[in-house]
Amino acid sequence: MNFSEMIAASWSSLMANKLRSMLTMLGILIGVASIIAIVAIGQGGKAAVITAIESQGAEETIQILPREVVEPGLPQPGQVLKFTDQDFQLVQGFTGVASVSYSLYGQGVVVYRNHQVNASIQAGPAQLNDLAHFVVVDGRMFTDADVAAHRSVAVLSQSLAGKLFGSGIDPVGKVVRIAGHPLQVVGVAASTQFNLFASILGADYIYLPATTCHDFFPWWNITEMDVRIAPGTDKADLSQRLVTVLNIHAHNPNAFEDASGFLIGVERIVGTVTSILTLVIGAVAGIALVVGGVGVMNIMLVSVTERTQEIGIRMSLGATRRAILLQFLTESVMITVMGGSLGILLGVLASWIVHWTTPLPSVVSWQAVAVGFLFSVATGVICGIYPANKAARLDPIDALRYE
Amino acid sequence: MTEPLMALERVCKWYPVGSERLTVLQDVSFAVYPGEFVSIMGPSGSGKSTLMHILGCLDQPSSGRYVLRGRPVDGLTGDELARVRNREIGFVFQNFHLLPRMTALRNVELPLVYAGVAREERRRRALARLEEVGLRDRISHLPNELSGGQKQRVAIARALVNKPAILLADEPTGALDTRTGREIMGIFTELHQRGVTIVVITHDPGVASFAQRILHMLDGRLVGEERGRGA
Ligand SMILES: Nc1ncnc2c1ncn2[C@@H]1O[C@H](COP(=O)(O)OP(=O)(O)OP(=O)(O)O)[C@@H](O)[C@H]1O
Ligand SMILES: [Mg+2]
Repeated sequence: MNFSEMIAASWSSLMANKLRSMLTMLGILIGVASIIAIVAIGQGGKAAVITAIESQGAEETIQILPREVVEPGLPQPGQVLKFTDQDFQLVQGFTGVASVSYSLYGQGVVVYRNHQVNASIQAGPAQLNDLAHFVVVDGRMFTDADVAAHRSVAVLSQSLAGKLFGSGIDPVGKVVRIAGHPLQVVGVAASTQFNLFASILGADYIYLPATTCHDFFPWWNITEMDVRIAPGTDKADLSQRLVTVLNIHAHNPNAFEDASGFLIGVERIVGTVTSILTLVIGAVAGIALVVGGVGVMNIMLVSVTERTQEIGIRMSLGATRRAILLQFLTESVMITVMGGSLGILLGVLASWIVHWTTPLPSVVSWQAVAVGFLFSVATGVICGIYPANKAARLDPIDALRYE
Repeated sequence: MTEPLMALERVCKWYPVGSERLTVLQDVSFAVYPGEFVSIMGPSGSGKSTLMHILGCLDQPSSGRYVLRGRPVDGLTGDELARVRNREIGFVFQNFHLLPRMTALRNVELPLVYAGVAREERRRRALARLEEVGLRDRISHLPNELSGGQKQRVAIARALVNKPAILLADEPTGALDTRTGREIMGIFTELHQRGVTIVVITHDPGVASFAQRILHMLDGRLVGEERGRGA
């Protein structure tokens, strides 16, 4: 009996019990589908977080932060180091430093007439659009002159502008207020990157000159120093020298760090979380496969008992024990492979649905598909071998006489 | 005289029942020569089927020897026994023993599948056998779509498809009416004339009389022999 005939024979015997075969497949199907989908979503999410983080660093700007912010572990309120005016003067003196600025982050209510919107405030240098990844699509960005002169100007994100002004009104030139301070809107900004967190954090941003913001909220700590580097400067080298000097100045060898250290830290957290998640999901999927496998074994045992006489007849017609063994083994592997394949399809489908309907990008990895497939083949063999062996070892006469 | 095709030498068969031995065959010795048509008669429980299973290499004697074509069967491996059942012996059973989910054609093809015959050739040979038993127009029927006589013809076609030298039939007419039974025996007579060695087990003296030799069994022993009209 050759391979294709064995497949055909197994197929027809599975088809003879369609519902039962399908129910038996279910455990394997769910196990494999969950492996594929969760791995896809997990890896997609991880990749998205990492690209989102990595794209934060603008090419010609060094962002320096207190190490408490950079390193994993929550900074203790009040213990977070902040930059002093002297720090800025110090850095300004370095060769290779074109200009130094700082960024401020906070929340505030933006008011236009009777509209009030809670927005994220981001303040920084005139290059904030590079640092915060947006382009001005209407009006203009605030300039170095605006920053230097502490001008009350602001750029609004499209989402925020829409909420404040509705459609039909050009926001540019209008005056909005934050904490009672009037600000003239000079531009409207569109984000230039996919923002993984937009759905959680919201997309309502108001961008201000750092100096203006510092005037409004002098109590906000300056925890980010943005250093623009002069063309032709070695960024890594300069960053290292700046951090060293700032640390000495703060009398703390671990006071500050380049934000790229922050990226590494976050990547590490994301990596750890993903591997824990993968482990947990792996265990769950493994349990599903074991349960599915037990189901397959059970049904195969039932099938062997039901078909005892068939086995006897086949033996009387010249079937060897090996042929009987292979017949039942093929059937059980076919069940699990079909279950596994449908599971792969379902898993891929689920990943796509997540990809297209949620902000989480999911990436189906061929490794997960391969592992899912191998697992289903292995389950079929492992759970089929005992019943198949039981069938093959039947005594021909006992089998023939079985009623 | 020629070598016997099948020879039983003081064959006993017993089953353990509790601590006792239930003896089903007691010192049975006889030989069947090539081309013979033998029938075995005896009351129910006398051990006829058990005897036939031993002749067909489906079962082994508890003691004594069974020699098939000059070879003692107890020396054969499982695979060799399977091969003997596949190539040298055809079985016909009282209740047909067709595989219920397979068409008549696929049932007849089955021994050829285990013989490793290629698909086309298999189909050709199975069709030829079904034609011989007059079932050309029933090849794609499932067993439950056939009458008893038709089922037994399919079973005969299946038993013969690998051109075995020996046909063993255990009450082949037992589930059929007299007329259909006679038709089946007609087929057997024709096969005998073509040189197939046949052993038929039956209750029915009319059926037994088709054979050349009729053996009588009682309580696991051979108790007599007479000539049939097939002689
Ligand atoms: N596995 C077994 N264990 C115990 N006893 C058995 C077993 N198989 C058969 N027997 C006994 O062997 C005896 C002979 O059985 P067998 O089937 O050979 O009879 P038979 O002559 O073919 O009868 P029938 O004409 O009714 O078919 C019976 O008494 C039966 O109970
Ligand atoms: Mg019997």
